[in-house]
Amino acid sequence: MTLDIQNVTKNFPGPRQGFFGRGEGFTALDNVSLSIRKGVSFGLVGESGSGKTTLTRCILRLETLSAGNILFDGVDIHKLTPLEMRRLRSRLQIVFQDPYASLDPRMTIHDIVAEPLVIHGDVVNLNARQRTERVLELLLQVGLRSEHLFRYPHEFSGGQRQRIGIARALAVGPEFLILDEPTSALDVSVQADVLNLLHRLQEELNLTYFFISHDLGVIRYICDDVAVIYRGKLVEQGPVAEIFDHPKSDYTRMLLDAMPDPDPDRSPFRQKDAV
Amino acid sequence: MTLLDIRNLNLAMKSYEGETQILHGIDLKIERGEIWGMVGETGSGKSLTGLSVSRLVPSPPGRYVAGSIKFRGKDVLQATDREMRGLRGRHIGMIFQDPTTNLNPAFRIGTQLVDVALHAGHADPSVLGLNPGASRGDLKKAARRAAVEMLEKVGIAKAAERIHDYPHQFSGGMRQRALIAMAMIGKPDLLIADEPTTALDVSVQAQILRLIHDLVTERNIGVLLITHNLGVVAQICSHVAVMYRGRILEAGKVDDVLKRPSHSYTQALLHSVPTAHTKRGELKGLNGLMPETAA
Repeated sequence: MTLDIQNVTKNFPGPRQGFFGRGEGFTALDNVSLSIRKGVSFGLVGESGSGKTTLTRCILRLETLSAGNILFDGVDIHKLTPLEMRRLRSRLQIVFQDPYASLDPRMTIHDIVAEPLVIHGDVVNLNARQRTERVLELLLQVGLRSEHLFRYPHEFSGGQRQRIGIARALAVGPEFLILDEPTSALDVSVQADVLNLLHRLQEELNLTYFFISHDLGVIRYICDDVAVIYRGKLVEQGPVAEIFDHPKSDYTRMLLDAMPDPDPDRSPFRQKDAV
Repeated sequence: MTLLDIRNLNLAMKSYEGETQILHGIDLKIERGEIWGMVGETGSGKSLTGLSVSRLVPSPPGRYVAGSIKFRGKDVLQATDREMRGLRGRHIGMIFQDPTTNLNPAFRIGTQLVDVALHAGHADPSVLGLNPGASRGDLKKAARRAAVEMLEKVGIAKAAERIHDYPHQFSGGMRQRALIAMAMIGKPDLLIADEPTTALDVSVQAQILRLIHDLVTERNIGVLLITHNLGVVAQICSHVAVMYRGRILEAGKVDDVLKRPSHSYTQALLHSVPTAHTKRGELKGLNGLMPETAA
């Protein structure tokens, strides 16, 4: 399984002007091409507004493309019928950025994690009891406990909520997981646990990750390959070690320099004034 | 005189289930020219310590069980509301984490800046470069001038035009700059920045940190920077205090604490930060050390 993104362009139309007119549009993605191989963690780094989230929305077909193709296993996602697309979505799941907004506060954890099993009932085909068993198995897998099953989201901390989000994404047994800034709303200490969990799951379940982040440290830690995106255009891509140690573009270098390092000696401020 | 002297601060919060003590004897001294970083996880009490300094913790439910917060020798906890209004904005500037919720969407950026400037100017016209007894008109003009100057200073291009914009016309980084401008316009002696860069991109974060750093060197103010990012602390802070469940575990110069952490919690916290050099499997979470509590 590979995901091929070929020359994808996405324009958003501008605001209406008068009866028929349109203001100037906005190009969120400009001729983006990527190839993600099976079993790899692919990282996408960029600042806010660079088009990271638009790209994930295009992959999930939540947006239409202005130009280009997205091939999943050689099949063009944007040419599938709605039924075929729903089948495909069971192989392609997403974990959202904000664990406080992405869980329905009126559903129990059991119902939240079981929901994709119901929606994709034609693919997974479990009865109610089997679903509960599967949910329990998933909760244990992401480091939660069985007594959490019938609690509500507000009873959990940010890190635990994100684990619930991961369990929900894994429920239907996907091969490809899109992680849209899964740790940016979390404390560093909790982030470390979630990142280690993602590592473990990838090895256990043979997953492919498409990991979006603006935190270069996180990308370095979790990804094999990385692409840097700036204002809808890919700046560079390649293996993580190569991009981080020998960045070719000025933009990547700037991002790396701006990254705050917890070693006081690496601070750009400390050199000029010895405090 | 010490700029800020927090001694044995104990804060309790009331809820339906009774009173819980949140801060257990916080001691902290900030001198002019120092940037103190306060690190800790969610719920460790770092924000409440910051809010206490400008007495923004509502009481009830908050109650100070013991301790004092002396700002320039005067106990903030004993001050009247009127005295506090004189301090906030004028002597103690505050920057909050989320620039979207801390700007009023219904007013222009300029209006909100001028408001703060006028407030400081009424108390002390010299802030706006005027003599005591300046007329209202002069104050207003000076406040408007100061607002534009301040916006320029925090790096907003074409400040004279952008001042008429509404907050939604600004990007996240620009809003945060506007908030910093608002905090600095009264020329405060102490700046409390509560997670000022958490919502921002790294490149913008670097600019904001540089801005705070430059303000400190230029005006010789004291800063209390509340953050959970040890990287930020290592970059600009001169001192750091590590908080854990309402206590300061370790405090001192950044070089001492971050390079030779004496407390195991600080070490664990340092190990949980992914850097450009961290290899797989090296990262360690704090599970077990700090039980996850409901947010």
